Amino acid sequence: MRNHFLVLAVAVMAAVPLVLFAQSGTHRPSPIRSWATLPNPDFSGVWFIEEYHRNLLPNEDPPLLPPALELFKKVQHESAHHDPNVAIDPTERCIPPGIPRTELQPFPWEIVQARDRIVQIFEYQSLVRQIFTDGRGHPSDLDPTYMGHSTGKFEGNTLVIDTVGFNDKTWLDPMGLPHSDAMHVVERMRRVDHDTLENTYTIDDPKTYAKPWTATKTFKLHSDWSIKEYVCTENNTVK
Amino acid sequence: MTKRLFFVVVLIGGIAASRPISAHHSSSSYDMEHPVNVKGVVKNMEWTNPHVFIFLDVKDESGAVEEWRVEGNSPNMLTRVGWRKEMINPGETLQVNGAPAKNGSKVMRLISLTLANGQKLDGQGFK
Repeated sequence: MRNHFLVLAVAVMAAVPLVLFAQSGTHRPSPIRSWATLPNPDFSGVWFIEEYHRNLLPNEDPPLLPPALELFKKVQHESAHHDPNVAIDPTERCIPPGIPRTELQPFPWEIVQARDRIVQIFEYQSLVRQIFTDGRGHPSDLDPTYMGHSTGKFEGNTLVIDTVGFNDKTWLDPMGLPHSDAMHVVERMRRVDHDTLENTYTIDDPKTYAKPWTATKTFKLHSDWSIKEYVCTENNTVK
Repeated sequence: MTKRLFFVVVLIGGIAASRPISAHHSSSSYDMEHPVNVKGVVKNMEWTNPHVFIFLDVKDESGAVEEWRVEGNSPNMLTRVGWRKEMINPGETLQVNGAPAKNGSKVMRLISLTLANGQKLDGQGFK
């Protein structure tokens, strides 16, 4: 009788920690979430171009229409021969680089992903771009802007960004590839792996190019960087 | 006809290039192919965007002093590769490697510099 009691006592004592453990397990609070796990891919983070080049390096030769080709030749000539105190490239006068060029500058940008939009916070010139993912279309009465009006939708793991409403005051790359206010840019952005973002740009501008053409760039995650302020006009000495 | 086609082909060869032209932004007015080394005393530094400027007093062979303007990248990128504003002060001697302006003015695009204590700093801040 006493042996049974001892065995029972030992069994209970051994079981107590297990019971306590089980109890603490069921009482551990689950992580607070304001909405269910995002079904769409997550592009959040600070990104920086993997290889900076002064060329956009298109996948195909951009078929410049004759007037645009003349303009491009003129810009290339002026760029190679100018006084460093005089600006040829609009960004040297702190003009926003537009899309896609702002993504390709050698400065990081951060993606903040909200429910109805994706916000790109560019360090370069402290520019901000909103890509609306709430299903809205482009307004019919758009005033031309440097950065255009962007909407986005997810196709599986790819974010497809559609941008129109550009003015013609920017270059597509530091070499001076031109575009008009008719330009329509489609970006297919996907996160190849945790540290790599790949973006393929389709440039469709019937006033400048005989047909659409593409370029592809990759960006790397820099989780130890944060976006700093960049006020271009603070000490810009070029005219 | 052949001449124009040749020109167009040459131009297009520079757009979808198999040999990418890798250089600084707005470096086209500097002679990147023929960098120079200059040793000078810091007059002052402007630690601002879009470019850090270092004004250097450089003695030429005759002993005459000329002022050089050294243009570096944005402090945003330079701090990411080890620069601190406090590292460069008036009166200090720097060894500078840079690309001089093509038009002959005493302006150069910084490639790298060496502080008096021997520390080397990259002028671009990224690869």
